[in-house]
Amino acid sequence: MSTKGTSLKGLLLVTLLVSHMLLTKEGVTSLPICPNGSVNCQLSLEELFDRAVKLSHYIHFLSSEMFNEFDERYAQGRGFIAKAVNSCHTASLTTPEDKEQAQQIHHEDLLNIILGVLRSWNDPLIHLASEVQRIKEAPETILWKAVEIEEQNKRLLEGMEKIVGRVQSGEVENDIYTPWDGLPSLQLADEDSRLFAFYNLLHCLRRDSHKIDNYLKVLKCRLIHDNNC
Amino acid sequence: DFLQRPQISKCRSPEMETFSCFWTAGNFYNLTVPRILQLLYKKSNEEDWKECPDYITSGQNSCYFNASYTSVWTPYCVQLASKNEVYDKKCFSVDEIVLPDPPVHLNWTLLNTSQTGIHGDIQVRWDPPPTADVRKGWITLEYELQYKEVNETKWKELKPRLSTVAPLYSLKTARDYEIRIRSRQRTSEKFGEFSEILYVSFSQIGIECDRCTEEVEFPWFLVVVFGVCGLAVTVISIMLSKQPRLKMLIFPPVPVPKIKGIDPDLLKKGKLDEVNSILACHDIYKTQLYSDDLWVEFIELDIEDPDEKNRASDTDRLLSEDHLKSHNCLGAKDDDSGRASCCEPDIPETDFSTSDTCDATSDSDQFKKATEKEEDLLCLDRQDNDESLPSFANTDPQGQHRNTQSENSLLWAPFGDSVESSRPSVHTQISNQNSLTSTDFYAQVSDITPAGRVVLSPGQKSKLGRAQREGCTEQNFTVDSTYFCEADVKKCIAVTSPEENEPHVQEQGYNEDGYFTTESLTTTVANLGASTAAPPSSETPVADYTSIHIVQSPQGLVLNATALPVPDKEFNVSCGYVSADQLNKIMP
Repeated sequence: MSTKGTSLKGLLLVTLLVSHMLLTKEGVTSLPICPNGSVNCQLSLEELFDRAVKLSHYIHFLSSEMFNEFDERYAQGRGFIAKAVNSCHTASLTTPEDKEQAQQIHHEDLLNIILGVLRSWNDPLIHLASEVQRIKEAPETILWKAVEIEEQNKRLLEGMEKIVGRVQSGEVENDIYTPWDGLPSLQLADEDSRLFAFYNLLHCLRRDSHKIDNYLKVLKCRLIHDNNC
Repeated sequence: DFLQRPQISKCRSPEMETFSCFWTAGNFYNLTVPRILQLLYKKSNEEDWKECPDYITSGQNSCYFNASYTSVWTPYCVQLASKNEVYDKKCFSVDEIVLPDPPVHLNWTLLNTSQTGIHGDIQVRWDPPPTADVRKGWITLEYELQYKEVNETKWKELKPRLSTVAPLYSLKTARDYEIRIRSRQRTSEKFGEFSEILYVSFSQIGIECDRCTEEVEFPWFLVVVFGVCGLAVTVISIMLSKQPRLKMLIFPPVPVPKIKGIDPDLLKKGKLDEVNSILACHDIYKTQLYSDDLWVEFIELDIEDPDEKNRASDTDRLLSEDHLKSHNCLGAKDDDSGRASCCEPDIPETDFSTSDTCDATSDSDQFKKATEKEEDLLCLDRQDNDESLPSFANTDPQGQHRNTQSENSLLWAPFGDSVESSRPSVHTQISNQNSLTSTDFYAQVSDITPAGRVVLSPGQKSKLGRAQREGCTEQNFTVDSTYFCEADVKKCIAVTSPEENEPHVQEQGYNEDGYFTTESLTTTVANLGASTAAPPSSETPVADYTSIHIVQSPQGLVLNATALPVPDKEFNVSCGYVSADQLNKIMP
């Protein structure tokens, strides 16, 4: 009987793994690494962009879902929507707001802007991942997504720095960056205010991840496919 | 007729470059008073509400914001108001309200048809909506295709895909199909409107289906499902049924590997002694002991390790048991426990004190007996061409049934006469490692005990007079007709480095019988001649022996029955044989 039990457990485990894999297929699957694995191994710019676009899409997807879940769970009936036109902390960065602007901006500048936004989100994401756990009865999916977004953001930042290193002729500008000072609001004692702070942050995250995703796709089509995606 | 406020129904951006808001006027006011509804908007970083720049382009009750008014990620608020009153307000950002236009230019091509011509595959192509700037990557679209037969009501869907082509497999060529497609921004949930319907008709491109009458499709699926269910139910019911016969019929038991007479559970869990006893009963294992030549080269003998005697080693027991048990494997009913073959309740305990019971327990007693037997065997197996006659003494187990030596001589004396005559027959039966002319003393070693005892092979065993084992001083060689091993004698004579085949001398005071061929004895005696001790056999009455009736495996001899009355108690089963009548007594 014990063998039956273990085989059942094994079957259940396999089923869970497979279903997890299928459910998260939107996620970033492992991409082929450098075939040689040696020092001289270099990914092509196209591959770098491919990976960056995949990552940015994934991050935006997770942010969207996380926001929707949070909205469903906590924001209903609290009138958050009406107030959610608050500015995000990255609003001070000058980013292209429509297609024309995105087309006209120089690709190096656009890359720097992307980097700046990513860097600005580094800190908030870390705190988000830790603070969201203090929310009363936070669903596991939200917790998991917060951690995942933070991780993927780091990876995207690394990838972008590589791309910038390849593409940029001059020096890399490091000064595009906005600090975040929203941590105290995430730790407010008043639950309503605290939840609103989270709502805001998640809303901003969704927006900024969409921006980055879009900018990267535009750059990819421009630089790699010559405006003919 | 309830009052409806004017309200903003939706705001939508088809391509993330412009957006429009639509509202409903409601029936709030009577028609005489003209209502002027305004849509005001405000970006989040502005203070003032501005009015809608274009009320016309998107139709009635709409407001159109063109590209110059649109900032994608900027939060907007719009409100529907008249001069005095605000009826509705909405806040959003443009990236959240993207609903693409439907795809255009749908067409299809035939990929292939099946052999029967009943089914065909097609591929559908389309173009993205013209408003969406996919080429520059500003927006990424996903498409969902739906299709159905013309007279069906329910649409079938394909999974959303990024590419603008989609194959449709296994369509019936006799039917016509309708296809429609809609799109959405990749990270959104909501789809835009459906495209125009595309009609697929195979007859249009000349595919005629000859055999495509209205056939009733055989419900293969149902048949298979029900068949499998029924089979499963039947199998389960059989398995659960209490009818063993039915179960046996359908699910015959798989024969597990089984050796006749051996119980596999015993092998797994039983005590080693039991296992030994069982294994000993089977000749196939015994034959292993007598493999040629393997052992001759690797004989190690430890001299006089008294501790070893008392170590109830498994190998010892195994070997001893083996020898012991072999004689008991007669006439037993095999009940697969492996032990029945060793059960011989009729055999008196004289010689095999440990072996007449199935639950052969291991204890030091047994071990001692085992070692005794080994010595007997050793003595016996050194078959040389002795001329001296063997003498038989009653086998004497440890402390039991000790026969006087006078009895011995009495007992066996009548045999003496027949010795000579039976010599040849005996001799022929004897294992052929002895040669008449050979004066060298050797025997084939069949096994070696850890204690250093050498088990010689095969053939008759004898119980040799162990009277000498206590030590030469104690023994009186000439007392009786007991014949004992040359080794003993030699040992007594000269405790020298052992010959290869020299067995241990145990210090036990037993009188055991030994059976030798005349030849062997003669030779032995002859070899002993060099030594000072006169072989007792020469002084003893001529040893008696009978001819061999049956040679039973390497370790048993069944002697011919003689007229000699053999008391039951003194069952003269020596190391390895029973006489025929004794055998008859034993056997049921």
